[in-house]
Amino acid sequence: MKKDYSILKKSDVPAFFASLANEMQLIGPKQLFAGDVTFDVIQSHKDIYWDYGHVVYPPKRFLLPHFEDMFRYTCDEQIKIEPTCNPQPQAIVAIRSCDVAAIRFQENFFSYPIVDPYYKERLNNTVLFNLVCNTPPKEECFCICCDSGPWLESGFDVQLTDLGDRFLYEVGSDKGEKATEPRAYMLLPATPADIEARRQIELQADSRFQTVSYLAKAINFISADEVPAKIWEDLGSTCFRCGACTNLCPVCTCFTVDDREEPDGTFTRCRSWDSCQYAGFTREASGHNPRPTFGSRVARRFYHKTSYQYIIRDGRHGCVGCGRCITACLTKLGLPDVVKRIRREMHEFLPPKEKAAEV
Amino acid sequence: MIAIVQEIIDETPDTKTFRLAFEDKEYAKSFEWEPGQFVEVTVFGAGEAPIGFASDPNERSFFELTVVERGKVTRAMHALKKGEKVGIRGPFGNCWPLEDMKGKDVLIVSGGCGLAPLRPAILQILANRKEYGNFLLLYGARTPADRNYKYDLDAWAKRDDMQVLETVDVGDENWKGNVGVVTTLFDKMKVDGENTVALTCGPPIMIKFVTLELLKMGFSEDRIVTSQERYMKCGVGKCGHCCINHVYLCTEGPVFTYAQMKELFELKL
Repeated sequence: MKKDYSILKKSDVPAFFASLANEMQLIGPKQLFAGDVTFDVIQSHKDIYWDYGHVVYPPKRFLLPHFEDMFRYTCDEQIKIEPTCNPQPQAIVAIRSCDVAAIRFQENFFSYPIVDPYYKERLNNTVLFNLVCNTPPKEECFCICCDSGPWLESGFDVQLTDLGDRFLYEVGSDKGEKATEPRAYMLLPATPADIEARRQIELQADSRFQTVSYLAKAINFISADEVPAKIWEDLGSTCFRCGACTNLCPVCTCFTVDDREEPDGTFTRCRSWDSCQYAGFTREASGHNPRPTFGSRVARRFYHKTSYQYIIRDGRHGCVGCGRCITACLTKLGLPDVVKRIRREMHEFLPPKEKAAEV
Repeated sequence: MIAIVQEIIDETPDTKTFRLAFEDKEYAKSFEWEPGQFVEVTVFGAGEAPIGFASDPNERSFFELTVVERGKVTRAMHALKKGEKVGIRGPFGNCWPLEDMKGKDVLIVSGGCGLAPLRPAILQILANRKEYGNFLLLYGARTPADRNYKYDLDAWAKRDDMQVLETVDVGDENWKGNVGVVTTLFDKMKVDGENTVALTCGPPIMIKFVTLELLKMGFSEDRIVTSQERYMKCGVGKCGHCCINHVYLCTEGPVFTYAQMKELFELKL
């Protein structure tokens, strides 16, 4: 689709999102009483906290809820099954590029080879208003290494770039077009100077990253199963199995399914987030666990994130460089550190000749 | 779809076989499955669990599932009575390569409740007996009381178109057969490693040693076929539990040749 740039003046932003709120639920960055910012339901467009920088908790839960009721049933003589999933239109406003990229990854995963109707239905009802990062990236950010930011070429419905007193407004999908149309009268055409201003922001953004992750070599080692179990066990030995890395990861999708009894005697089948870092994730009813050690579970997580096999399967590697696993992990098992340690320690495993070439 | 428990057969102290028929007769007619596949069974009020088919695939009026009592769902399933209802989703997964095996000798090695997913394959081979060569079944159980499908094993042992060798880990006063793990039966059998396909299912440790022994006997890696087990929830390749490397066991498995297992690092021996 043809890229079309317009301008949304900041003075028009309240009217724009107030109007959007009449059509759909707004989700956006919201400052809580103690000053923390998190993605939440926005009651009034005034609550959208535009200058939020970064949030630790991704807006993943608005598409893949922690607990999602799939259907309800009764256990009487006649078994009655009623669907419970009924997503309403929503817009996630001021979402960051890394989180949009993660949602595209999830969309692909949940559409192929079998479609997940729950995720699909929610996403079909969701419009993503991406806000380009032109604040300095936080220390842990490395989206630049993962082709997922700080701005996006595609994948967004609408992309906003902050140009001071105005936003550069890009429509990236039919869904974005549809959400823009009733308010198109508020947009002004963009001038070449606006587009140049955005280009300058892009150029600046590139040079600001403090964390980089040289993924390629680690991808090779992991894809070929060349990382010795000892390295994984060393890495795993510091894991507290808290699951924060997978819970905060905007890409992670694994879930478990349970039937919950309701006070009225009916039952609800509910799916909820699960984590490959928990021992119970693979433990079978017999007690046998094919991934019995911390190391084997850490290996699993990074295999899923970085192996070629997954890149081929899902179209990209499973990391968007948001840096949340670094922030969350008590013992530095975030992706860049693990990649660094694999590169460094594999170096010690290589025979001397290859070692020389490696340096 | 809703299915009704028609019959419950006690197999061992902790294992029962459930004979199920769909409530909707039209749906039952369209319900086809292959040996090696499984269904997700909902025990209403308890939850859902994946269970492999254990009956004759040509029998269209019902199917059977053999269930060991272990977790929440299987415990609730064991409490079911004749006439009660369960929910069925499926069939899921791939199947034993019975078509490709035609013209070859067949060796089946199974342990404990690992005989359950192989039983449809055995019944299918017996139904088309002329299309296969020599047919040998090895079965190991913990004790004589833990033998699954005793009625079948005894009937199969009497047939002259197949050979059945059995063993138990621990015998009792009435047990006159072999005692030891299932690989101890390998000395007692004659197979042509070049022209035989081996199907195996059982505890992971059994699959490991059986595969190693078969490789020693000259079986090529693509003629050793196993059904793998993993904790599983959704059955459609989304929940992530059964995933080995990038392969979702519920959609691309559970049946793998050793040649395929080697590519999946966690299944390499």
